[in-house]
Amino acid sequence: MAHATSSDPNVFILPDLGEGVHEAELIKWRVSVGDNVQEHDILAEMETDKALVEVPSPRDGVIAILHGSEGEICNVGEPLVTYNSDGSTSVASTPQPKSETAPSSSTSSNSESEDAGTVVGTMSGSLGAVSGQDGKALATPAVRRLARDLGVNIDSIQGSGIAGRVTERDVRAAADIKSAPPPATRRTPPPAPRPSQSSAQTHLAEQTVAEEVSSAALATRLAATGSPAPITSGAKRIPFRGTRRIIANRLRESMDTAVHFTVMDEAEVSALDRLRKQSAAASGEKISYLPFVVSALCRAMRQFPALNATVDDEREEIVQHPAVHVGIATDTEHGLSVPVVPNADALGVLEIGRHIAELARMTRDRSIPRDRLMGSTITISNVGSYAGRFATPVINYPEVAILAVGRVREGVVADNGAIRIGKLLPLSLACDHRVVDGAEGARCLAHIIELLGNPQSLMTPARG
Amino acid sequence: MPIEVAYEAKIERLSILDQNGKLDEKLAKDTLTDKQVVQLYEHFSTCRHYDEVAFKLQRSGRMGTYPQNMGQEAAGAVALAAQKQDWMIPCYRENAALFLHGLPKENILLHWMGDERGNEIPDDVNMLPISIPIGTHMLHAAGIAWAMKLRGEKGVAFTFFGDGATSEGDFHEAMNFAGALNVPVVFICQNNGWAISTARSKQTASETFAQKALAYGIKTMQVDGNDIFAVYKAARDARKRAVKEHKPFFIETLTYRLGDHTTADDARRYRDADELESWKKKDPLIRMRKYLESKDLWNQSKQKKLEAKAKEDVSAIVKRAEGIEKPTIDDIFDYTFKELPIETRRQRDTLHTHSLGQFPEQETLQQTAAPAHA
Repeated sequence: MAHATSSDPNVFILPDLGEGVHEAELIKWRVSVGDNVQEHDILAEMETDKALVEVPSPRDGVIAILHGSEGEICNVGEPLVTYNSDGSTSVASTPQPKSETAPSSSTSSNSESEDAGTVVGTMSGSLGAVSGQDGKALATPAVRRLARDLGVNIDSIQGSGIAGRVTERDVRAAADIKSAPPPATRRTPPPAPRPSQSSAQTHLAEQTVAEEVSSAALATRLAATGSPAPITSGAKRIPFRGTRRIIANRLRESMDTAVHFTVMDEAEVSALDRLRKQSAAASGEKISYLPFVVSALCRAMRQFPALNATVDDEREEIVQHPAVHVGIATDTEHGLSVPVVPNADALGVLEIGRHIAELARMTRDRSIPRDRLMGSTITISNVGSYAGRFATPVINYPEVAILAVGRVREGVVADNGAIRIGKLLPLSLACDHRVVDGAEGARCLAHIIELLGNPQSLMTPARG
Repeated sequence: MPIEVAYEAKIERLSILDQNGKLDEKLAKDTLTDKQVVQLYEHFSTCRHYDEVAFKLQRSGRMGTYPQNMGQEAAGAVALAAQKQDWMIPCYRENAALFLHGLPKENILLHWMGDERGNEIPDDVNMLPISIPIGTHMLHAAGIAWAMKLRGEKGVAFTFFGDGATSEGDFHEAMNFAGALNVPVVFICQNNGWAISTARSKQTASETFAQKALAYGIKTMQVDGNDIFAVYKAARDARKRAVKEHKPFFIETLTYRLGDHTTADDARRYRDADELESWKKKDPLIRMRKYLESKDLWNQSKQKKLEAKAKEDVSAIVKRAEGIEKPTIDDIFDYTFKELPIETRRQRDTLHTHSLGQFPEQETLQQTAAPAHA
């Protein structure tokens, strides 16, 4: 055989799509979970370093799992698609069976992928490191990778190559302009740097990745500012101005004023996952975890009004708000941004989802009105769309609480003395200890977790 | 001293069936019968489907690199002009000719799956395995033709190669050899306009590829490579001449690959979309179908039947290729030497003992080692 096969006959491993191809970008799924496919039907469009290719199905079967989302880089040798085990023999002439794991979403457009557990499907798809389909730059995956490693948004680059294609040189030029200061924290370097990268560039890539992650998480990356400057030759000095400076000042103010404490736990969201897939199938709209988390948070604020508050330090007053306006902390190409869903507690989950999608679109094309970037009473940080489980988020001062949502994962759940596998959503709730007591914060988090465990109640608005 | 013309030449281009399916009756006289045209149409259509499936086998990890033949099927008409005793010395974009000359269809898939048994040509078929390195195999063709001449056999060697191959050194050696020795070889240059991503205009300053033959004293012509009548007639006449006079011949076929160079290529990166569209209209299958329909030899129901049958046939071919038994370790010895040299024979015989070089008398070792190879 020409490539590695899985020991599980129902798992289709992404093959080498050309000659010596190690990875490919998933451009578009052409099938959905539950679809009955035949041998040679096209499963996905992928782009390798060499070509845009269609990946056909090696067999007949019913799609059980699509591994990966559009825009993701998939490695050769890792699962691409899993078929239902009952479809292991030819099912060409059997009537369309329904998938066991999820209802068919064939009514919805294929252009939106099933997110495999990212909290913020819509937000990360539109605002995260991976851009949407519109206005997408032409570039090879190698160049895209380089851009990612260098922390450059490739879609913002004017390509100088054939037909406006963004070249390696364009990316390096853009990276020189953008170039970041040395970060306080260091993370694992990105896997397998390109042979063409010099060690210095790899070093830069590490730094940039570290910076992105920490700013996205609103983490305490400024904690180390007092440490002595590293002795480096050829270090680049960048004016600490503009958006970066504003973000820095806001975070500094928060850390200097609010007394942070964080409580962390995981919510079991297996039922929620089923519900969101069902409602996606019923409404034709893709729905991520995020609107549910927003809804649960709004509901919790009815019981814990102390958290839905701002501090007026000048007048020495705590202001509790009757409505819940939820800020969604989002990492964009222009820096950290907190667009707001106003009166989120008066909205059902689907409405919240539509609001978030709209915010995403406006933030992306920078058409978002200024007033949609202010007025939040509590904030959610979607750290989970990048990596990590728990976080110690920095409060969006003068608010008094922020909820960081981690990446949904499959985990072991102990349930009445039995062990089963469930979907777990890590949550980290940071509060201003000046205003919120530790026990109150913990109870609030417990309540949010309870609400997420009974997701049916979240579909309707929290208020009224 | 007056200036004299030392040499003058012209290159003829033959075209019989145009892209609208209209036949030049006069030129077509005594070429293909209706039955043959139907046969070729059915065969090429099956090859086209085979090509599509092979492409998808690669994309789903079931096969290695594969060069699509799509658009160049009419070269297969050469095989209809060939006799059983003739040799085919191919490169890799003339599956249709190879199958017609007797190569089992699963062999090509096996080859691209990395199974050397795909290159095992049946004993009664005169053919070399497909040749991936560009331009090396025309020397073999000239050599085989020379052997046939020396042995007094009435056969011809047909060799296929692309336009890019004519820029390789071996091509010129083969041409010179064939011309100087007067051997019965027919060179078929499939000029599809692109040597992978190198455009014909960058490949050579020569106005035609055919004229390269003139330098070696080899008669030559251009034909519409998507016109089965022209390809057939040129190959048949070249063969006649080669057998009768032991003279080589050079045919340049003007054609186009409608697919990528191989599955590792993306032709959209270097070819103009308009160029591709204009050649799609010249597809050999389209004009054959138009021609057959105009003569009431073909209709929609026959087409449907053909497509269903092609699907079934190709599916069976894939099953045969994928279902082949795993090769055994002894196969290493079976396909290189007609008679094994003594040292190699000893290696074979002691292969199943623990270490090479031990003698087969050590039967206990042979038994204990056997499961490791099972």
